[in-house]
Amino acid sequence: MIARPPFDKRPLADRRTKSSWELLEQVSATSLDEDYGRVAARRGSQAKGSRRRPKLFGAVALVALGVLIAITALQTRSASPVDAQERSSLVSQIHDRESDISRLASRSDLLQTEVEALQSDAEQLGGKGDALLDTLNQARLLTGAVPATGPGLRILADDEADGEAGAGGTILDVDLQVMVNGLWQAGAEAISINGNRLGSLSAIRTAGRAITVNYNSLIPPYVVTAIGDPDTLEAAFADTPGGQAWFDLETNYGIQFDMDTVDELTLPAVPSERLEAQYAERLAELP
Amino acid sequence: MIAILGLIIGVAAGLIIEPEVPDSMEPYLPIAVVAALDATFGALRAYLDDIFDDKVFVVSFLSNVIIAALIVYLGDKLGVGAQLSTGVVVVLGIRIFSNVAAIRRHIFHA
Repeated sequence: MIARPPFDKRPLADRRTKSSWELLEQVSATSLDEDYGRVAARRGSQAKGSRRRPKLFGAVALVALGVLIAITALQTRSASPVDAQERSSLVSQIHDRESDISRLASRSDLLQTEVEALQSDAEQLGGKGDALLDTLNQARLLTGAVPATGPGLRILADDEADGEAGAGGTILDVDLQVMVNGLWQAGAEAISINGNRLGSLSAIRTAGRAITVNYNSLIPPYVVTAIGDPDTLEAAFADTPGGQAWFDLETNYGIQFDMDTVDELTLPAVPSERLEAQYAERLAELP
Repeated sequence: MIAILGLIIGVAAGLIIEPEVPDSMEPYLPIAVVAALDATFGALRAYLDDIFDDKVFVVSFLSNVIIAALIVYLGDKLGVGAQLSTGVVVVLGIRIFSNVAAIRRHIFHA
């Protein structure tokens, strides 16, 4: 019979340092069920001498132990093929994933090079786009699709002050045509007459009693503004046949004709209906 | 003699019949085996100590198996099944070893 250990009178702190060790000691000290000792003591000495053997119930318990061991062993063995199967399937999955990874990595490399190629293409195209935009803006400026500003020449022309209508002192559409032609010749880049910008489709013609530009009737005096080199435009215009013709008009017919070089002129855009082509088709793309 | 016979009959019966164990019982089988082994070694030691008792053996056997399974079941419900299984196996293992040591002393007188 196992005696109960005496009560520990040591301070708690001392006890605690040994408590886990004592727990193990206690477990091994009481490894034999106390009940055996108690029952034997209760039986007293009557049965001493002859060993007490397991009887029916003990045998049944041992049969149960055998069955338990057998079942557990069988269970573990039947579970192991499943485990192995799972493991091999996991291994094959790992291999699959690894090959996936290498495949995707090479694909990623491929796509990376593609991205780089496309990026360099995009950079080239970006530069080309800027060039195209420059060309387009230049074209819009020269066709008069946008208002223009810059230095140039302002010409004020008026009919003879006290001349009668239809006489030589009246400015005709031909006179303005000659003047505009001379200005182009002298290097003008944009011209407007009384605020009517001349585009590629603009005609200067007489309609009824008035001269019209872009279908707008003009009333004298005529103010012709031309953007061009402020240093040379006036002199160059004076040298052209158009300029000469106007000096003749001034001296022979008393027509008013004044030229001014101006630092900054602002010319409006051509009306949009005078910018539409109906029959002409372009033969080449923009470069 | 009857003990060894019973054990052999049990193992043979288990192997031959191969009873189907429900899945819910499966995790408790190994712990039950360890607990039953503990009770059996305790009984063997008591037998050698000459204080063996049939009833005590059966009761300790059943209570060991049931309590061990219950502790593991409770641990599973609380989410610490593995730790509690380990604890039960450690305690029962210590008991088995010390009982076997006592048995060894009896047999070899050393």
